[in-house]
Amino acid sequence: MTMTWLFVRLKLSLVRGGLRGDVGKQAGFAFSLAAALLSAVAGFGLLSLIRLAPSDVGLDLVSAAFAMFAVGWVVVPLMAFGLDETLDPARLALFPLTTRQLATGMFAASAAGPWPIASLAALCGGVVALAHGPGGVLIGVPAVVLQFAFCLTASRLVTTALSGVLRTRRGRDLLAVVAIFGVLLVQVPNLLLNRGFSGDPTRILASAGDVLRWTPPGLAAHAIADGGLVGVAELIVVAMSVVVLGWLWIAALRYALVRPDSSNRGGGSVRRSRTGRSRTGRFLPGGMLGAVVAKELKYARREPRARVNWISAVFVSAVVMFSLRGPGGSTGPWTAIGPACLAAVVIGLQAANSFGIDGRSLWMNAVAVATPRDLRTDLAGRHLAMAVVAVPLLALASLAAALVAGNAAWALVAALTAWGVLGTAMGIGSITSVTAPYTYPDRLNAFTGAAPGQGGQAFAASFATMLVTGVLALPIVLPVLLGLTWWAVLAVPYGVAVAWAGRRIAAGIGFARLPELLAAVSRPS
Amino acid sequence: MADAVRTQGLYKRFGQQVAVGGVDLVVPRGSFAGLVGPNGAGKTTTLSMVTGLLRPDGGRIEIDGHDVWADPVSVKAHIGVLPEGLRLFERLSGRELLTYGGQLRGIPLDEVGRRADELLKVMDLVEAQDKLVVDYSTGMRKKIGLAAALLHNPRVLFLDEPFEGVDPVSANTLTEVLRRFTASGSTVVFSSHVMDLVERLCDWVSVMNRGLVVAQGPLDDVRRGRTLNEAFLDLVGVRGNGDDGLSWLGSGSTP
Repeated sequence: MTMTWLFVRLKLSLVRGGLRGDVGKQAGFAFSLAAALLSAVAGFGLLSLIRLAPSDVGLDLVSAAFAMFAVGWVVVPLMAFGLDETLDPARLALFPLTTRQLATGMFAASAAGPWPIASLAALCGGVVALAHGPGGVLIGVPAVVLQFAFCLTASRLVTTALSGVLRTRRGRDLLAVVAIFGVLLVQVPNLLLNRGFSGDPTRILASAGDVLRWTPPGLAAHAIADGGLVGVAELIVVAMSVVVLGWLWIAALRYALVRPDSSNRGGGSVRRSRTGRSRTGRFLPGGMLGAVVAKELKYARREPRARVNWISAVFVSAVVMFSLRGPGGSTGPWTAIGPACLAAVVIGLQAANSFGIDGRSLWMNAVAVATPRDLRTDLAGRHLAMAVVAVPLLALASLAAALVAGNAAWALVAALTAWGVLGTAMGIGSITSVTAPYTYPDRLNAFTGAAPGQGGQAFAASFATMLVTGVLALPIVLPVLLGLTWWAVLAVPYGVAVAWAGRRIAAGIGFARLPELLAAVSRPS
Repeated sequence: MADAVRTQGLYKRFGQQVAVGGVDLVVPRGSFAGLVGPNGAGKTTTLSMVTGLLRPDGGRIEIDGHDVWADPVSVKAHIGVLPEGLRLFERLSGRELLTYGGQLRGIPLDEVGRRADELLKVMDLVEAQDKLVVDYSTGMRKKIGLAAALLHNPRVLFLDEPFEGVDPVSANTLTEVLRRFTASGSTVVFSSHVMDLVERLCDWVSVMNRGLVVAQGPLDDVRRGRTLNEAFLDLVGVRGNGDDGLSWLGSGSTP
C-alpha cells in the first residue's frame, strides 16, 4: 500500500514539475491544466445532454462515446508521448519490487494526474445520460469506474507490450509516421461528409451500436441503462475483462522486465553504389551546393520529422483540393489554380524554418560557412532539394485539380502559377529561417511543432511567412485568377527572382548571427 | 611565428553566471595541447568560442594570427572541430557524413572519396560505413566525428572530450592518429578530465578552474616534479577529501 502511494506521489511530483522552469513552460502547464478542466466539464456536459435523445439512440451514442474513450486511452499516450518515461518498466527493473507491487503502483500512477481525472469526470456524464432512477445510479457509478479501469489497463497493456519496440530507433521512426497518418485519417470521415458521400447518420450509428453492444465499453453503457440484475451481470463481464487485461498486462510487464534493452542493436545499412554516388547524386553539382541538396533529399526520406512534414503537406493539399470544390460545382480556371497555389504555400511553409531539421548538427555547416556567399549556397541547396520534390508534386496536384475542375488544359496554367508561388514562399521562408529560427523537438509529438517555450515563435514565423507570401504572390496570382491566363508565363521567373532575393537578404542577416541561429535550432527539447 | 591559438581576456556570461571570466589561452604551433579542468570550469564554452560556434561577450581570439570573428574566411578553412555531445547528422551513414563534410569545404568528390576510404580504414569503421550514424555506439561516433574533423586536413584541431566513453582499443587508434598528425607540425587542442592520458600525450597543458586559466605551459613546467594529477589537485584546490559523513557506508554496517 505504501508502495502504491509512493508511485502516486512520484507521478504527482512529476506533474508538479511542470510548474518549475521558465515562463513558457509554466504557461504550457497552465494551459494543459485549463484544457483538462475544460474537457472534463465539456465531456460531462455533452454526455449528460444525451439524456434528451430518444433512449435507443442515446444508448448507442453513449456506447460509442465509451468506446472512443477506450481507443483514445490506447492511442494518445502512444503517439503524443512516445513512451511515458516515468512509467517505463525498464527504469524500475533494478528496484526490489514484486510484479504485484509494480502493477498496482503503476496502475495507481496512471490514474493520477489532470487528464485521467478529467476523463473520469467526463465518463460520469454517461450515468446522467442513461440512468433510470436510483437503481440505475447505483449500477452506473461502478460501471463508470469499471469503464475507467478498462481504459487504464488497456492503455498500460498496449504501452508495455510495445515498450520494447518503442525503445528502438526503428520502432519510434515507424510510430511517428503511423501517428501522423492516424491524425490525418481522422479528417477523412469529415471530408466524406462534406462531399455528401455519407448515408443516413442514424443508421450508421445504429449499426455501430450493434457492433459495440458486446464490447466492454458497450456493456458498461448498457449496464447503466438496464439496471437491475441484468446490469449487474453485464458489470461482472466488464470486471472480468478488466481482470483479464490486467493479468495480460502483468505478464507483459514480467516479460519486459527481464528482456534486455536492445535499442542499439541492429539497424540496417544504406545502399551505396560503387562510385560512392547515389542515383540522384550523379545529376547533382559538386561542392557545397550538391552536398546540401544530397543531404536534404536523404533527410526528407530518412528523418521521421521531415517525412511527417512532407506527408502532412501533401495531405493538407489534398484536403484543400477536394473541399474547395463545393457540390454545386461552380467552374472556372480558379477552381484548378486556387488549390494548386494553396498546395504550393503549404509545401513552401516547410522552408520557413530551413535550418530546424538540422538541429544540433548544424554546427557542421557553421564551421564550414566562412562568408555570406557560403550561406547563400547552403540556402540555395535547401531550396533546390525542396524544388526537386515539390515541382513534380505540384505538377501532379495541378493536373488532379484541373481534372476535378473539369478542364485538363487548366493544369498548365495552374502548375506554372503554383511553381511561382512556391518560389515566393521559399524566398520569404529563407528570411524567417534566419530571423525566427526554432528547434524541432526530438520527441515525436504530433501536436507541437517546436521545443518547449518556442511554440509561439514557431506559430508566428509560419503565420508571417504565409501572410507575406500571400501578399507578394498577388502580382502573379491575381491576373491569372481574373482570367489573364497568359500571365502565368511570368510566374516562374517571378518566383525564382523572389527566392533569389530572399536568399540574398537572408544570407546577409544569417551570417551575422550564425551563433545565435545555431543556438536557436539546438535547444534541448 | 604566430601561436596556433591565442586568446586575450575572453569573456562569456550566461545570465548571472560568468562561464568564462577573462581567459588568456595560448597554444604554440605544432603542440599537442591538453585543456584540463573540473566540471564547469569553462572548457567547453572556451572551445566553442574559439571555434566560432559561440559569440564571446568580450575578448579577442586569434588562430594562426587571424582573428576568428573578424576574419572567418582565413580561419574556418584551416580548423577542424569535434564539439561536445557528438552532435552529428544522425540520418546519414558514416561514409555519407564524411562525404558531406568534405564537399561542404569544397574538396573534389574523388579526393573526398579517397580520403574517406583511408580514414574509415584507420578508424576501423569500414564494416559500419554504410550504417546510419544514429545506430553507432559512442566510440564509433567519436571516431567518425574525428574522421570528419580531419578530412580537410586542418592546421589546428579542436576536440572536446574526444576520449570520453571510448573503449581502450578505439582510444589507442585515436591517439595514434593524433600523434602522427602533430608530428607533422599541425596542432591539436583537446579537453579532458583524464590526467593520465593528458600526461601521456601532451607536451603543453592549460589548466582551467572557475572560468580562468590558472596554469599554462609545457607539461614539465606545470607539473614541476609531481604527477599531473597532484599538480592539478593543488591548482584547483581539493574540495573535501571524503572523510566526513558516510559512516554507514561499507560492509561493517547494516544495509
